[in-house]
Amino acid sequence: MLAYTLKRLFAGVVTVWFIATATFIAMHQVPGDPLMNDKAVSAEIRANLEAKYGLDKPVTEQYFIFLGNMLRGDFGISFTQQNRRVNDIIRDHFPISATLGLLAIFFAATGGVLWGALTAIYRNRLPDIVIMFLVILGISVPSFVFAALGQLFLVNLNSLFGQSIIPVAGWGTFWHMLMPSMVLGLGTMALLTRLMRSSMLEVVNEDYIKTARAKGLSPTRIFFKHQLRNAILPVITVLGPQIAAITTGGFVVELVFAIPGLGRYFVQAVQQLDYTVIMGTTVFYGAFLVMMVIIVDILYGFIDPRVRLS
Amino acid sequence: MDTILSVEGLEVEFATYGGTVKAVRGVSFDVTRGETLAIVGESGCGKSVTVQSLMGLIPMPPGEITGGTATLNGKNILNLPPAEANKFRGVEVGMIFQDPMSSLNPTMTIGDQIAETLKVHRGKSDQEAFKLAVELLERTHIPEASKRAKQYPFEFSGGMLQRAMIAQSLACNPAILIADEPTTALDVTIQAQILELMLELQRTENMSIILITHDLAVVARMADRVAVMYAGQVIESGTVDDIFYRSSHPYTLGLKEAMPSNTDDRDKSLSPILGSPPDLFKPPVGCGYCARCPYAMAVCAEHLPPTTTISESHEARCWLHHPTAPDIEELHQLDDQNAG
Amino acid sequence: MSLFEPTAADFEPLARQEKAEQITRPSLSYWQDAWVRLKKNTRAIISLGIIVLLGLFTMIGPLLWSVNPALQNLNQVSQAPSWAKSAVVIAPYQSWDGIRLDNFTSPDQTFTSLPEPTGFSTPDTPTTQRVRLAWDQVPGADGYNVYRNNHAPRDFNDLGLPLGSTYGDELSYEDRLSLEPREYYYSLVPTDGYDEYEVYSQLILTPVLALTPDEAVERGLITDTHEVNIGDLVTIEFHPLGTDYLGRDMLARLMEGARVSLFIGIVAPFLFVLVGIIYGGFAGYFGGRVDGLLMRFAEFVVALPFLLFMILFKIAFGIGPGESGIMPMLLALVLLSWPSTARLVRGQVLQIREEGYIEAARLLGAKDHYLVLRHIIPNTMGVILVTLTFAVPAAIFTEAFLSFIGMGVAPPTPSWGSMCNEGVKTMLSHPHELIFPALLISITVLAFNLLGDGLTEALDSKMRSRD
Ligand SMILES: Nc1ncnc2c1ncn2[C@@H]1O[C@H](COP(=O)(O)OP(=O)(O)OP(=O)(O)O)[C@@H](O)[C@H]1O
Ligand code: SF4
Ligand SMILES: [Mg+2]
Repeated sequence: MLAYTLKRLFAGVVTVWFIATATFIAMHQVPGDPLMNDKAVSAEIRANLEAKYGLDKPVTEQYFIFLGNMLRGDFGISFTQQNRRVNDIIRDHFPISATLGLLAIFFAATGGVLWGALTAIYRNRLPDIVIMFLVILGISVPSFVFAALGQLFLVNLNSLFGQSIIPVAGWGTFWHMLMPSMVLGLGTMALLTRLMRSSMLEVVNEDYIKTARAKGLSPTRIFFKHQLRNAILPVITVLGPQIAAITTGGFVVELVFAIPGLGRYFVQAVQQLDYTVIMGTTVFYGAFLVMMVIIVDILYGFIDPRVRLS
Repeated sequence: MDTILSVEGLEVEFATYGGTVKAVRGVSFDVTRGETLAIVGESGCGKSVTVQSLMGLIPMPPGEITGGTATLNGKNILNLPPAEANKFRGVEVGMIFQDPMSSLNPTMTIGDQIAETLKVHRGKSDQEAFKLAVELLERTHIPEASKRAKQYPFEFSGGMLQRAMIAQSLACNPAILIADEPTTALDVTIQAQILELMLELQRTENMSIILITHDLAVVARMADRVAVMYAGQVIESGTVDDIFYRSSHPYTLGLKEAMPSNTDDRDKSLSPILGSPPDLFKPPVGCGYCARCPYAMAVCAEHLPPTTTISESHEARCWLHHPTAPDIEELHQLDDQNAG
Repeated sequence: MSLFEPTAADFEPLARQEKAEQITRPSLSYWQDAWVRLKKNTRAIISLGIIVLLGLFTMIGPLLWSVNPALQNLNQVSQAPSWAKSAVVIAPYQSWDGIRLDNFTSPDQTFTSLPEPTGFSTPDTPTTQRVRLAWDQVPGADGYNVYRNNHAPRDFNDLGLPLGSTYGDELSYEDRLSLEPREYYYSLVPTDGYDEYEVYSQLILTPVLALTPDEAVERGLITDTHEVNIGDLVTIEFHPLGTDYLGRDMLARLMEGARVSLFIGIVAPFLFVLVGIIYGGFAGYFGGRVDGLLMRFAEFVVALPFLLFMILFKIAFGIGPGESGIMPMLLALVLLSWPSTARLVRGQVLQIREEGYIEAARLLGAKDHYLVLRHIIPNTMGVILVTLTFAVPAAIFTEAFLSFIGMGVAPPTPSWGSMCNEGVKTMLSHPHELIFPALLISITVLAFNLLGDGLTEALDSKMRSRD
């Protein structure tokens, strides 16, 4: 397990390096000099930047300066917001995105497992048919539509009661987080429900379930002790990649619900071609996602003895 | 004799996409204390369905037990709700399956799985149950049982797993152990060890065994009595000697001829039974074996043969035992007996 | 059974009629077989039908509905879907003095309650130019508030848009606030000049779509004001799905957007699947070190956070002035999406390479390229087709997502995603601008997903042997 963890971590570091390199190459393809494009940059800042990134030096040298900065965890200074460090931007806004994302994952995972188990129990009966129909919808409707619908729902809810029951946009309290995170988790929930259902149906037909019945265990015990645990395993394996989907899905939700998260910042930076913020955020997000996948895989190892002990 | 389990006229059907499969069509047999009953027959003849319907393991739907009775120690055990069935499953009847690799929960330790039975049925505490589980593993000759009990199925070999399965099914000292092809998935040397273990445990526990197998050699070694099944019916039953030396049904003869044997002269070639068993979607009206039987008669196609008692322990379902039927060389002994 | 007593004749040997073995099932090729099974899957077939319809909508649609999708009409901004095809020609707007009481004195007290207003009505035909309202005096009232709502008010607090207030002697009101030919719920509430009494009376009416001759000329419906008389009907440009915030026809834009969305949604998967096949086929065919290296690189590409890099690559490839941004998106999609197909194909090729018949063919002297063309590609086609089917909705989603956050195709090029982006801003007042493109995206994605499910089942060889 330790060797496995180390191996995964090493592979993760290499992946992050690859992400950083790809980011660097991509940003150097941007037509024109990003510094010249932006009139907002004062001469002073420009001089600073040129010194910091070695923009007057050859590309390979710039690349190593860039890597060095990344290694030190220094993402530089924003182009458009003078004197604001990218690190500060990330520190200020990422926790909001992370909270939103975690809540969404929580909704998605609990919902997915619950609905998936339910559909499997009621296979081909009404609850199954209804839920699976909703699942297909959940997979086929873009997240921004859910976001818009969610907001519309809140508007109507509030107008129905003639007062603000649940805030329609913004950030702060748990009530601000509720609708956005549910909306954000919806697509993943649909996916996980589907996975959980097929996983459950597969497990029901496993020989060890028959053994458990032959042992004289009650259906409830079989369900919780034998079926559920084994059926959840494949669901956990896709959780890592799904965190990536939820993170990027967060961009849209943050835009629609006016949540001051890093995603919204990133989109804004992209629109304003804020070179350093884009690079910094991309590498940061990339590293974060790679880490999430590794963490989920290692956690999985603790749950599945076959991985843990090999 | 001390009859523990008595099955009468068991009928099981499956409603499938293509129609109703009549998998078991009126099976009867008895099991007495301490004996081994072997059920043999071709693949798909309904052996597993028979025992699984006794245990309430048939998936319903599509399965349905449409007729018959099964009495275990004086109590009906067919079509019970799970709560009722769990009073005898794992307690009075233990069961092991063909593939030990997939028959144990991969995410639970062996010890916990055995202990689970004891906790549920005997109300033991966690530690107590686990200690007993280790003892059970020792009784099935698993080395270093206390260490092994903490391991997961994937850390066991196939033979070890089948031992663990046996240990698990023995947890509550059942009166009957049902073993559905317990050695098919294992290699030959391991097979012998597992069979040996079963015999040993049978002696020490005075337990009955229902052993399902394709392998007549295993039957010869293990069984006291044999039920031969064909197309969902028991077509011949009797003691091992009855079946092997006084075979009274053309199908049993065919089975024997298809079996390699080291006592017969080596030149004799093996003759497989030609053709395939009837489609159980539309079971034949007459004898199920009719289409493949070398002795088939006009009556066989249209009428189900009655069960003929050949001796006190021996029964067969074949028209050849009818007084007006012609004599068949291969089945001569029985005619001698009938005459005598 | 026991009643039956056989006779000697019954014991004659059975005469067997030698039936020739009949082949009950006609032998079908892999694809025929798959097609037969797919046809049994109603959902997949309906989805296939929907996809064909979408194709027609995109290809044939613009021929039948030849409205210019880029034509802006600021007179018809954000109109709801309607089938009205003609408008009444009316005289230019003339101001209205309204109805006034001559000898009105303000009541000197505020009453606890007043009776409901009576006679709330329209003195003439309400048109989209103006709606005139009049009512009888409510004794004791020193003013009136007029409200307008799009739905029936639930209660006193839900009367809708406050249009205006009048003094106690004014018994009329003229509404000229962006009227549409749809049903309105007007409410009239008496006041004491300041506060409202909690009573109201209601008037439901639908204004007639109307135009002045000048407006008709302006909109290009007629060339000269003399062509029509007051009271004539003129045929107007109609918008079955309404218009957007610039007054552009939604239907035409949806068709144009379909081209963009489906182009990206279908061409990008084809391209990256092709790249994947070549790459994966190469890796699988050569195996060994080449395979190891190629696949290691593919793994890295997979690890890139997809949408982040889509955005990054989009910026990197840049959009020049006047460009639509479709090509950069296509390129970015292909660059990031090929590894999954490559892996799949490689796995298949490795597996097939091990199979006996390839070895046999090789022994018989088959050339490599022959093997690839004749055996390996046909055998991987099934999986590839399924991948392709699921890649289409994914690509459509990606386009929609990027366009929605403003990183997709550049305006004015419409795509379903960018239309949603525009529509979401006016979602509360004009939901149709969001609903239609969102619906089309959802239906398309749904259809491709269901078709993909159906294909998976139909091509699954395990199921092939089952029935
Ligand atoms: N769940 C089920 N649904 C439909 N048919 C079934 C089901 N289970 C068993 N059958 C049918 O019942 C018949 C008997 O099956 P069974 O498993 O009892 O055979 P068996 O004698 O145990 O064969 P084997 O030696 O291969 O284990 C078969 O024809 C099979 O198709
Ligand atoms: S009943 Fe007839 S067909 Fe059946 S086994 Fe006996 S002889 Fe053969
Ligand atoms: Mg069986």
